[in-house]
Amino acid sequence: MASSVRDEFTKGLWRTVPPFRLVLGLCPTLAVTTSGINGMGMGLATTFVLIFSNLFVSLLRKLIPTQVRIASFIVIIASFVVIVELVMQAYFYQLFKVLGIFIPLIVVNCIILGRAEAFASKQSAILSLADGLGIGIGFTISLFILGLIRELLGAGTLLDIPVMWASFEPFTFMLKPPGAFVALGILLALMNLISQLQARKGGSR
Amino acid sequence: MRVIIRMVVVLTAICAASGLTLSVIYRVTKTPIEYQTIKFVKEPAVKKVLTGYENDPILDRVKLTIGTDERGRPVELTIFPAKRNGKTFAVAIEGKGKGYHGTIGVMVGVSRDETLTGIAITTQSETPGIGSRVTEEAFTSRFAGLPAKGELSVDGISGATYSSRGVMAAVNQAVSYATKFKGELF
Repeated sequence: MASSVRDEFTKGLWRTVPPFRLVLGLCPTLAVTTSGINGMGMGLATTFVLIFSNLFVSLLRKLIPTQVRIASFIVIIASFVVIVELVMQAYFYQLFKVLGIFIPLIVVNCIILGRAEAFASKQSAILSLADGLGIGIGFTISLFILGLIRELLGAGTLLDIPVMWASFEPFTFMLKPPGAFVALGILLALMNLISQLQARKGGSR
Repeated sequence: MRVIIRMVVVLTAICAASGLTLSVIYRVTKTPIEYQTIKFVKEPAVKKVLTGYENDPILDRVKLTIGTDERGRPVELTIFPAKRNGKTFAVAIEGKGKGYHGTIGVMVGVSRDETLTGIAITTQSETPGIGSRVTEEAFTSRFAGLPAKGELSVDGISGATYSSRGVMAAVNQAVSYATKFKGELF
């Protein structure tokens, strides 16, 4: 039991890390990662929704008739998204202003509905919680790294602190949507390279 | 039949629980949200038009009823007073005027002796690079020091006549409020 909880948690961190391995949830991934902080804020908001939607879907899985399961999942997910939106607006207004429309759009983030449908509706609450936490943290780290790369190249700062030399001319291209695709593609290629090297070392995997 | 009843009951229960939770969260976050909105949208403008105050104009804001809308509900205006030694010596009032694209909101500072202490644009959606030049210091500084009564007018920005007029209309609206409610404000 303990090992499988760990398994469900760690798979979200590398093996099925959402934007890279599953290539899911790309809309927020590409749109809001203009800086490290924005990426992390979006990731944490999604993680919160994911954990609680997984937990509640799993707890209610025996009560919810299969015919109305998607409708029920969406109501559960939407409730937590509204909670995140209100809390963020009340206590983290600047982040709320930057993320804007992408907060309500978490409702239709396919990672969350995907985990509810594919995992939480079939597994126990503890496993679902571990799954939500793992996938959520994996998503947050991915967005954070992507945000850092784009911020570094596009604005010459890391977490709003200038780090590049004085004559550095920022690639503003990296802050625009095409730059997001390029950065995502390079990261994806790097991850695949690492996996292949690992597989060659390990022999079979 | 039993399945249908179960479907209805479960979905209704989930929706009801969700609605209840959200209404509680909404009530809890209502005041902080209102404060944050004022702080981040209005405070920068208020700070620009008022100087030398010892209080927090955001915290000391007062609401005045300035009339009723077509349905008979009261229309409220938020005033930000600047105080020194406990006495209000200037207020910031937001006025609205019609620009080239939609409404321009202007925070206007009016002092006790009926002088404009300054203006700052709060909201606008004018053409970037043309009408949006009304937000620049070079234009907004033209208002500071003018007498705050009657119809004001300053030189507009060439090429941005409508936007300049929108700002003037907003300033005049704010000034008219200040004149009308002078007794209650100071």
